[in-house]
Amino acid sequence: MQEATFMILTALANDSQHGYGIITDVQEISGGRVRLSPGTLYSALDRLRADELIEVEREEIVDGRLRRYYRLTPAGTKRLSAEAARLQAHAATALTRLKLAGGTAT
Amino acid sequence: MSGQSDLERGYRRLLAWYPRAFRRENGEELLAVLMACAPDGQRRPGLAASADLISSGLWMRLHPSVPRSAHTVLAAVRLMYAGAAVTTVSLIAAIASLPFIGHNAGRLRLFGDSQPPAVAITLGIIAGLVLIALWLWMARANGRGQNWARILSTVLFALVTLHLFGNKTVVQEVFVVMTWLVGGAVVWLLWRPTSNAFFKPPGRTHAGRRVSAP
Repeated sequence: MQEATFMILTALANDSQHGYGIITDVQEISGGRVRLSPGTLYSALDRLRADELIEVEREEIVDGRLRRYYRLTPAGTKRLSAEAARLQAHAATALTRLKLAGGTAT
Repeated sequence: MSGQSDLERGYRRLLAWYPRAFRRENGEELLAVLMACAPDGQRRPGLAASADLISSGLWMRLHPSVPRSAHTVLAAVRLMYAGAAVTTVSLIAAIASLPFIGHNAGRLRLFGDSQPPAVAITLGIIAGLVLIALWLWMARANGRGQNWARILSTVLFALVTLHLFGNKTVVQEVFVVMTWLVGGAVVWLLWRPTSNAFFKPPGRTHAGRRVSAP
């Protein structure tokens, strides 16, 4: 799973959000490192909707402009959980080995 | 205020790079996000934003959002784009070799033993362009789950099959056989059980999205 995709799903993990909300949230949770452009975001959203990992929760008109709120589908939740667990396992392995390396070095 | 509308017009123009179906479904929403992302006082789309929209739009045109469950359709669509690419390269190679065969008639044998008449060259080029257009058209229409496209692709494949027989030069023969093989693989993929579900639902587009009312 690409990082942008992972971050978008993470942004939607506990609540629905609209497009601009996802962009600002992803920027925040990545500590400003991942800045999604609107083009990238909508390519990803289109893909995720086609794969039925996310769905439209509701639509609103704010200041005359369309706002669509997205949320994870059960399949999306499952997919994000699996990916997060995978990354966590990798990170744990990396940390363990670094500790071992540190142990032999000293 | 007029700066705002200039900016909006600029973004709307850039959205034309996206497939029409996507624009209809998400255009207004994407526009709202673009306007929200634009810094105050910006009068027209910046270079980075323009490049982003153009590349994303083109990418979306070339990569239809076929659900992962219909991977056979995706493979077929990719093969059709590959078919278009190979035909384009062949056409360019054929055109590039024209002056060459004038001097070395029979050596390359692209068009037969002698320099072909101008009419034959023109017809050949037109046929090549039509073939490229057909590949692209079928790739797009099938990628959008249009069942008529699947049927038309099959009919076109049958026509290529008929074309297998008949007098041709070696190069032409190789080209037709290659087209036939790619076409055969495409048709086989389009009629796989995993593809059927993608083409089936009447009145709905892929991924369960509503088709907007006429």
